[in-house]
Amino acid sequence: MQALDCAIIGAGPAGMTAAIELSKGGAKVAVLDRGTRAGGQIYRAAAASPLPNTSALGPDYQAGAELIAAFERTDLTHFASSDAWHLGDDGRVLFSHLGETHELHCREMLLCPGAMERPMPIPGWTLPGVMTAGAAQVMLKSDATVAEGAVFAGSGPLLYLIVAQYLRLGVPVTALVDTTPRQNYLNAAPLLPRALRQAGQLKKGIALLREIRSAGIPQYRFAENLEVLGQNKAKGLRFTSGGQIREIAAETIFLHHGVQPNLNMTRAMDLAHRWNPQQLCWQVETDAFGQTSIQHISAAGDGAGIIGADGARIAGRLAALNILHRLGRLSEADRNRQATPGIAKLAAMAPFRAFIDRLYHPANALRLPQNPDTLVCRCEEQTLADLREGFNQGARDPNALKSLTRCGMGPCQGRQCGHMVTGLLSQWRAEPTEAVGYYRLRSPQRLLTLDELSRFQAVPAPTHAEAAE
Amino acid sequence: MKGDVLVIGGGIQGCATAYHLARQGASVILLEKDYAGRHASGVNAGGVRLLGRDMAEVPLSKASMEMWQTLDEELGHETGFRRQSVINIAADLTDMTTLRAREERMQAAGFTHERILSRAELLDRLPHVNPDCAGGAISEQDGYAIPYKSTSAFRLAAERHRAKVVEGEELLSLRRVGPAWLAQGHKNRYEAETVVNCAGAWADHIALMIGDNVPLSHAAPMLMITARMPHFAAPVVGAVSRQLSFKQFKNGTVLIGGGAKGFADRANNRTRLDYAKLASAARTTVEFFPIMRRASINRMWAGLEAYMPDNLPVIGPAANADRAFHAFGFSAHGFQMGPIVGQVMADLVLGGQSRFNLTPFRINRYDRKIL
Ligand SMILES: Cc1cc2nc3c(=O)[nH]c(=O)nc-3n(C[C@H](O)[C@H](O)[C@H](O)COP(=O)(O)OP(=O)(O)OC[C@H]3O[C@@H](n4cnc5c(N)ncnc54)[C@H](O)[C@@H]3O)c2cc1C
Ligand SMILES: Cc1cc2nc3c(=O)[nH]c(=O)nc-3n(C[C@H](O)[C@H](O)[C@H](O)COP(=O)(O)OP(=O)(O)OC[C@H]3O[C@@H](n4cnc5c(N)ncnc54)[C@H](O)[C@@H]3O)c2cc1C
Repeated sequence: MQALDCAIIGAGPAGMTAAIELSKGGAKVAVLDRGTRAGGQIYRAAAASPLPNTSALGPDYQAGAELIAAFERTDLTHFASSDAWHLGDDGRVLFSHLGETHELHCREMLLCPGAMERPMPIPGWTLPGVMTAGAAQVMLKSDATVAEGAVFAGSGPLLYLIVAQYLRLGVPVTALVDTTPRQNYLNAAPLLPRALRQAGQLKKGIALLREIRSAGIPQYRFAENLEVLGQNKAKGLRFTSGGQIREIAAETIFLHHGVQPNLNMTRAMDLAHRWNPQQLCWQVETDAFGQTSIQHISAAGDGAGIIGADGARIAGRLAALNILHRLGRLSEADRNRQATPGIAKLAAMAPFRAFIDRLYHPANALRLPQNPDTLVCRCEEQTLADLREGFNQGARDPNALKSLTRCGMGPCQGRQCGHMVTGLLSQWRAEPTEAVGYYRLRSPQRLLTLDELSRFQAVPAPTHAEAAE
Repeated sequence: MKGDVLVIGGGIQGCATAYHLARQGASVILLEKDYAGRHASGVNAGGVRLLGRDMAEVPLSKASMEMWQTLDEELGHETGFRRQSVINIAADLTDMTTLRAREERMQAAGFTHERILSRAELLDRLPHVNPDCAGGAISEQDGYAIPYKSTSAFRLAAERHRAKVVEGEELLSLRRVGPAWLAQGHKNRYEAETVVNCAGAWADHIALMIGDNVPLSHAAPMLMITARMPHFAAPVVGAVSRQLSFKQFKNGTVLIGGGAKGFADRANNRTRLDYAKLASAARTTVEFFPIMRRASINRMWAGLEAYMPDNLPVIGPAANADRAFHAFGFSAHGFQMGPIVGQVMADLVLGGQSRFNLTPFRINRYDRKIL
């Protein structure tokens, strides 16, 4: 078995850009992604869209096809349909491909696992018919399927983007229920002047909102007290807006209020993390080049802190330059010189990101469950009341609470409930989130059949001599 | 902070000791460097097993087993205990010979809780077992419990009797001054007449502070748990000579052990897994239970456990100090013993003796007279 210079997990904008740069620098690279094609979230199926015309998805999406083409032209190994289930700080990657586990060894590892949507645990959020807005987009991009007459509820650019994409395709939308709190506009206003330096982004956002407004679908603003109606499946959404209680009938409700890093990989590797109070999420700690608390492991893109697709590309390239330096293929001076424009660009993007983060800062009432009967852990069906009971029994740590209540023990391994549990414990303990911490995560990153594991034979790690060959 | 007894370690041994002491009126302070149940006692396989115990342990283990049956009522909190037979599978005739020899020794000692199963009886109780197996041994009063819940139940019951459990407090040093033990934690100082060392995989450090040397080692046995699957095995399953052990819980998840060990990084409170060994445990499992091929592993982990060279715990007074006691080194089967160990320790601390023969468990059993 031959050792790689670098293994990259995730073929989104971050992973693809990094792979191209590393390969250009002469490194031997492999990229793994569970998807059948490269692209990641934003460019999902951008190179092979099932849609007759992708213009409805917007120019950002279409730009993805170019990146994917460049990636596919690059001399590297792309393991598609390959799900990494174990990543070790010893440079070992175990991944599943068509029901078999394979093993890779690499000198450097770059984690680009992307983001996931922040759960919105309103009453009824787990009923059939309730999905995330991102799921609407995945269905659209991958299968060209849509849900007619849906209600979209929440806040943030991605929500508006998806509504606009629906409207452009002529899909009827029942309503947009915007939960951005009135106070957020006041809080964000002081950040606007600096954000205006990125006028292009701002214009794009305003145009999107205008586009939705002019489509004439019912829009409700400053919505609060959201609740999905229905016993066994979603029948509608109840909320208050403009001082009135409103009920809208719909069989599909798409919820969204922002994204957060996909934590399981970086957490399972025991990398140092910090709490990001602006984005209300944990993120892996890195330096300007994406290097984590373990030097030979780097992270880039939304999986290392939300920076968006353009930011992910830059971060991917910066990580690649640093890895080339660590591999001895680029001097420190050259690394710094080549990195300067990217670092400057990221810094220039920061004020706009700060503005957006402040404006779409999710309300605590939507981020954390309020109703004792609301499920926090979908896998193990644990409600807010169950967790409170566990806390009262002395489980003050997320892991203790998990051991006591099973919250976070199910197949999603805390992906959904992790941030909620941290937030709840922080409230109950009246201590900052950092003091509360997060779940201790372990491999496998996803369910692995015993059959597959039983057929896995470990290949011994290569010796230095072999690796150098 | 002052108390009669200072217990080091908030695993099941420490919490049970604190409970039995506090229940009898002693003022107890328990120090736990992480949180109670963070280590072996909260993450083990939950096996409450009498089957296959070392002869020296059988009396304690039997007494503990009786306590488990009514522990929830006694403590006023759920331990998740469920009575369930445990079967050790004999893969072949050699295993059956081993079992027969054991049966003879057990009967000679007057123990009757284990019984040999014929191949037909085995298949009857475990219809999905590989039919090539030769038979097995069964113990009917055994069962399993939920480790963290059980440890927590002892802790809550101890607190109800006014024991003080201090979490996030690591004992850094200990000295005997006159009639008292002075303890320095990283947050506070403590003083007590008696100290009890229940520090699990770290117990040799505490033993040193007390003045006793002990050949303790530590390791990281690994476990895997599956997602829910249809019920296929009621009894808890082990094997005479193979690394096979699993139990299916009421919710359908299957916990797979087998004794394979990962890497123990005690100084950093961490463990790492050995995936090649887990793969081999998976092979053994599907070889004996082909139905398990379809099972999906949800999580794999390991816990830090203390081992003595003879796989028997240390239970008893310190060799080189007064008013100090040890209970550690349970060698991967101490969860079941928790209830009785707590009582034994309380008896030693409060009355100076135990009704059990503790000679096999004395701390200085490895001391040599001459080099
Ligand atoms: C549902 C959803 C939809 C989004 N849609 C848009 C959009 O339309 N426009 C926009 O600007 N932003 C969108 N975003 C935001 C998005 O995070 C960024 O725009 C961008 O895609 C981030 O790029 P990335 O390279 O960091 O990660 P991603 O593009 O998310 O790529 C990460 C990749 O890692 C792979 N991966 C993760 N874990 C493993 C593993 N264990 N094994 C193998 N592969 C793995 C994933 O399959 C994925 O392809 C969306 C986010 C989400 C969650
Ligand atoms: C994976 C695994 C599976 C197992 N399966 C079973 C089973 O099925 N059945 C069974 O009977 N047994 C089983 N065991 C064994 C059982 O878990 C242990 O024997 C038992 O839990 C030991 O309890 P303890 O209280 O001695 O140790 P622990 O639970 O380790 O507690 C010791 C505590 O002391 C604390 N401590 C250490 N040093 C200090 C200090 N200086 N200051 C303060 N606190 C300190 C530690 O943080 C720790 O919490 C298993 C063990 C493992 C690891």
